[in-house]
Formats: sequence, C-alpha cells, structure tokens
Amino acid sequence: MTNHLLGLLVVIPMATSVVSVALVGRRRPQRVLGVLSLGSMLLLSLRWLLEIRDGDVLVSQMGAWPAPFGITLVFDSLSGLLICAGLVVALGCYVHGFSTLSPETERRYFHPLAQLLMVGVNQCFLTGDLFNLFVGFEIMLMASYGLLSIGGSRRQMGQAYKYLVLNLVASTVFVISAGLVYGMLGTLNLADLARIVSGRVASGEGLPTGFVAVSVLLLFVFGAKGAMFPLWFWLPDTYHTPPVAVAALFSGLLTKVGVYAVARTFPLVFAVGEARDVVTPLLVVSAGVTMFLGVLGAVSQHSVRRILAIHVISQVGYMVFGLSMMTTAGLAGALYYMVQHMVVKSSLFLCCGVMERHTGSDDLDKVGGLLKRDTFLGVSFFVAAMSLVGLPPLSGFFGKLVLIREGWGIHWWLSVIALLTGALTLLSMLKVWTTGFWLPPGSETSTPTGEPGGLRGAYVGIGFLVITALFIGLAAEPIYDIAFHAGEQLTDPTVYIEAVDPHGLVASLGGSG
Amino acid sequence: MRIDSLILRTAVRLVLPLTVLLAIYAALNGHNAPGGGFIAGLVTTVGLCTYRMAFGERAFHRLFPVHPRWLVVAGLGLTLVVAIIPLLAGEPLLRSASTVLRLGGQELHLVSATVFDLGVLVVVVGVAVGMITRLGEELGP
Amino acid sequence: MTTVLAICVTVMVTVSVYLMLSRELKSIAMGVFLLGHGANLAILAMSGSPVLPWGGLRQPPILGGEHLVDALPQALILTAIVINFAVMGFFLTLLIVTARKTGTLNVDELAGEEPPRSSPELASEPAPVAGLETRSVAD
Repeated sequence: MTNHLLGLLVVIPMATSVVSVALVGRRRPQRVLGVLSLGSMLLLSLRWLLEIRDGDVLVSQMGAWPAPFGITLVFDSLSGLLICAGLVVALGCYVHGFSTLSPETERRYFHPLAQLLMVGVNQCFLTGDLFNLFVGFEIMLMASYGLLSIGGSRRQMGQAYKYLVLNLVASTVFVISAGLVYGMLGTLNLADLARIVSGRVASGEGLPTGFVAVSVLLLFVFGAKGAMFPLWFWLPDTYHTPPVAVAALFSGLLTKVGVYAVARTFPLVFAVGEARDVVTPLLVVSAGVTMFLGVLGAVSQHSVRRILAIHVISQVGYMVFGLSMMTTAGLAGALYYMVQHMVVKSSLFLCCGVMERHTGSDDLDKVGGLLKRDTFLGVSFFVAAMSLVGLPPLSGFFGKLVLIREGWGIHWWLSVIALLTGALTLLSMLKVWTTGFWLPPGSETSTPTGEPGGLRGAYVGIGFLVITALFIGLAAEPIYDIAFHAGEQLTDPTVYIEAVDPHGLVASLGGSG
Repeated sequence: MRIDSLILRTAVRLVLPLTVLLAIYAALNGHNAPGGGFIAGLVTTVGLCTYRMAFGERAFHRLFPVHPRWLVVAGLGLTLVVAIIPLLAGEPLLRSASTVLRLGGQELHLVSATVFDLGVLVVVVGVAVGMITRLGEELGP
Repeated sequence: MTTVLAICVTVMVTVSVYLMLSRELKSIAMGVFLLGHGANLAILAMSGSPVLPWGGLRQPPILGGEHLVDALPQALILTAIVINFAVMGFFLTLLIVTARKTGTLNVDELAGEEPPRSSPELASEPAPVAGLETRSVAD
C-alpha cells in the first residue's frame, strides 16, 4: 500500500529542529514544540502500526521515482514496531530531561540535537535502501556526537573522542561496502538486492565473488554500532559520562539501530546462500560471548550507571542470539525483545538519574534507603528491573521465553547461556535494589544535592515508560503477532519486494543481475 | 586571520562579484548538468572567506551582517517547505513540479527542485561560513 | 585505470591508518579525514568501470545515453563528501574546545583523571560547541 505521509516521520523532527535552532535560549517554547513533535509522530506511527497489524507494508517513493531508482520509505512490521518504541523512549527521556538537565545544557542546542537524533533514527528505520541507511546512521551519529559533548567536562571530552573515531571508521567501512555492493550487483535498493540475490542463488548461478567479504564487512559495521562482542568497548564509557536523559536516550536508541540494521539487511540480502554459512557462526559466537561477558562485567561493577550501561551489551547479545537463528520465531523473538528492551532500559537509566539527584551519586556504597524516601521511584525501578530480568507477568519474560525455546532446538548451548545470563542479571539487579532501595543508608551516604523539588518532569517521564513497559508485557500477544509478521516477512521477502516494487519494474527491465 | 596585502585586497574586490556570479550559474545550471546547490554554496563561501581574509573581520561583518545560524534556519526552512508542498497535493514527498516557459522563441525549463537547491545553497553558505569564522577566530585576528 | 585508482586507495588508507595510530588527536583527525577521501575514491574505482562483471556495458539507469558514466556512484560520493565535510567541521571544533578546556590534545593525557589545569586562560568559559555544523547533513 502506498502512503505518502510516511515522509512526515522524517520531516516533522527536522522542521522542529530548525525551529528550535531559531528559538535557542528560550526553553519553554522549545520544550512545548519538542513534545508536540514527538507526540504527533507517536500518534501517527501508532495509527499506521494498527493499519499494518495484519502484515501489510506501507511504502512511499520519494519524489515519485519508482523503486530501484529513487529513495523508498518502507513502514512494515519490523520498522513500525521499532519506530513506535523509539518514539516512546524519546518522549520519556525528553520530558525527563526538563527536570534533570542543567539549564546550561538545555540552552546549548539540546532540543535541536535531540530532534535531529530522531530524524536519523526514523530514517534508519524507514529507509528501503542501503545508502540511505548510511545517511540515517550519519545524521543520528552527528546528533549524538553533539549531545555527547555539550557542556562537556574533561572526562566527557576524552570519551567523546573514542566514540567519535570508532564510529567514523565504521561509517567509512560502511560507505566502502555500499560501493562494493553497488559495483557487484548494480543496485542498492534492499528489495531489489533481495530479488537479485535470491534469484541468483535459486538459479544456481551463485553469488558474485567477494559477496561474502562484503557481508562480513557490513557485519563489522553494524556490530560496531550495535556494540556486539569484539566491538563493544566504546559503550560503557560513553553511557557513563553524559547527562542522564541523554544517556537514557542513547541506551534506548543507538545500539538498537545497529541491531535493526542487521535484522533488516542480513536475512534479506547478506546472509543468503553461501554467505549464510559464514555469517551465522560469527553471529552465534558473538551472541554467546556478548551475552555472557556483558553480564559478568555488569555484576562486577559498583556504580549504577555502569551496571546499566554494561547490561545494554549483554542484552544486545540476546537480540543477536535471536537474529543468528534466522528463523521466523527467532527473528520475531529478537524483535519483541528489542522493543521491550528499549523501553525498559531507558526507564532504568531515568530512575538512575533521579537517584543521582536524591543522593548526589550513583555509587552503591553511597546510596541506600531510597524506597522510604521516594516510593514511586522504588516501585518504578523494581518493575523495570524485573522486566529486564524477565519475571513472568512482565515484558522481558515473553521475549526471553520465545528466544530460549526457539534456540533450544538450534543452538541449545546458547539457550543455556541465555538462562545463565538471566540469573546473573537478576543477581546484579537485586544488588542495586537491595543496597540502593531496601537497606538503610550506610554511614558514608552523601548528602542530597540540589533542590528537592522540580522533579515533576522526571516522574512523568519514568511513569510513562514504566506504564508502556507494563503494557508491552500485558499486551504481549498482539505485539508479538506484529513481530511474528515481521519475522515472516524477513524469512520470506516476497511481500516486502512486491510492496516496494509493485509493478515489477525491475524485473520487466531485465534487471542488472 | 587577516593578510595585509594591497594586491590581495584589489584582487578580491574584483574576484568576489565574479565568484558570486559563478555560484549563481552553478546553482541554476545544476539541474541537468554539473553544478548544484552544494557546489554553489561552497563557491560562495570561498569568495566570502577570501574577502574576510583580505579585509578583516569588521569589514566582513558589514558585508555579512547576520549570524550564520539564521542562514541555516532559512535555508533548511525553504527546503522543508519545498519538500512538504507535494504532500498537500497528495503526491509523495519531494515530488518535483516542472513547467516550460516560452519567452520569445526561447524555452525556459522551470523546476521546483531549483528552489530546493537554492535552499541547500543557503544552508551550505551558513554552515561553511559559520564554521570557518568560528575556526578562524581561534587563530587570532 | 582501475589499478591506478586501487593503488591510490591503498596508499591513502595506509597513510590514514598510520596517522590514526598516533597518540595526538590532531593526527587522528587527519587520519579520519583521509580515510573518508580514500573511501570516496574507492567507490569511484568500484563503480566507475562501465563493464559489468557478467559482461555487457553498464547503462546509466536514468538517462540511457551511450557515453555517460553511471550517475549514481557520483551521487553517493557527493553525499559522502557532504557528510565528511560536516564531520570535519565538528571534529575540528571539538578539538579546539578540548584544547582550550584541557590544554592538551594527547590521548593519554586526556584519559588521565587529574583535574584540568587552572591557568586562567584555559579555565575560561568555553565557547558553545557548535551544534550548527551538524545541520549540513540535512541537505
């Protein structure tokens, strides 16, 4: 189905960003505008998500150029779910930022940059070709470099460079691989690529020389952005230093876009035929190590923010585990897990922000007894933490259930690692909960800093995200249904290809393959 | 940074209008031939920066009295408006409208994408001038 | 022709890797920029040849002319250049702000925990990190 309004998801944040630049220094209008923009996008995308819940695909061709020549925007089950989750996260963090960001930071282009981040994220999720995926990545990263370094302290600066250089190198490799793909197959449109590649595999013609190498290069790129096993070292420090609303935004969005890119491109194009035999073992090993070492790192930490940041890595492992199976249920489980993880993880970071405000520190030695002082915070943190662990009525449970059950028949040892990781996650979350909230404060507890009031925005943000997380857990069936459609469309791309290229224009031209 | 040289000043006075002319040509030519908003913007920036180099900051501010930020806002606003208009008409984003104007036997091909390109030009000038001014300030007057 | 381009790409990438391995942020920045140019050249090398790997000549997808180079890789390169340009602006600004704030551009010294030097000039309020440059990716 064609829906020309899809472009609004990119245009609205861009326009908001432009107007926010014009309003720099005036906080109230910027805030109202930002919330309006995120809220309207959320409503639009929820509406479209309902429209496509039976597995339809919404498509818009930019500038009315037909599919393989122009830029295609695709809103299918995969991108739809992630866009909605991303916007929920962004809205929660944005509102939270009103009360936790220093006025100084907020004045220095926070609002335009946050909107620009959404331009990039939405474009990544929507785009239907490889090169625009790169452009989306770059817009998102640009905004994140900015957000990472506003009002930067010395330490923050040092970390910003690590993140900046790693991402620049990864992006360059992405450009080179996109060029290689174009040189080999003569197109960059994902639907077109999927058609050519599967056609060549089916006809026994085989993939062009070097295709497998490009697959691995792209895996490197997306792995670096998504913090998979050997390429995760940038993540803990990056999430440790910036203001908490920014860290929460990053934890919900940045790595997920990397994982999304794997989910979108690999089952369709880059893990087809003989490439699958090379890529799958890499994904499997990476998933296992990412899960397990990530959680070990988290258990050993003593600062709440670091614990949460390193948990991001461990949970990226779960997603990669789902992707590495390349089956319908595996992909669907990974997607469902991603959606709930984005919301839950961001809300945990936001809780950590309020904790820092209350006690002036996020070190577990220095906090304590928070449940008595702030019951709302304690309850929210508990709900979110248990969703992360995967306690039955909460959202994390269903994600892990699908992954582990599906994985049992394919890589049983990965399922065992996943269960072990779950247990260790429980351990570290309980550590935070008991020392931070349950036990009375220790003797060296630091005194609260800052004025006690003014946390309304923070509570609204946390409440919004936690309620969404509960909703994802309670409404697991309809959401999982959509995720299952996404899994089906990824394992059998005919629906996707026909939606992007309804008239078979490429096929009628004879294609270039 | 300022280079105090009579030769440079005289040359820049001559070169700047020519640069702007070249930029306009590149911007309008860019639809079907080499050129376009980005390149035109860079050409303009080079002209402006040479002017800044020859005449110093104060003279540059007289020539270019707005903060570059406003150019970015204006240019992006223009491109966004051009991008959105087709949506109102039920066409996909960025759809370009074109018409052929006959002027005394000559045919003039008018495209709405040109306006988009002009927006790009303004953005590029804003960004590049802003960047170079900012970096130039660090090198001292 | 492809061979010449390939050699150029190799040289550029080698130099940039060498630069990036240095401990000075300035060299790292130069290395990153050079790598970007190498990538652009690589795209040109990979898609500039009009002969398709499976035989036959590549036709420009839109215009269908006879003696035209495929326009798409050039569009890709232009986009990549614009993005590189924006990144370069941001990186240089960040370098300046860092130098002013901390008085060093050495990776090891930046990673250290010691407080910033308190010379009055260096401790002065830094200019806002230009969020402006990030805009130009938009076009």
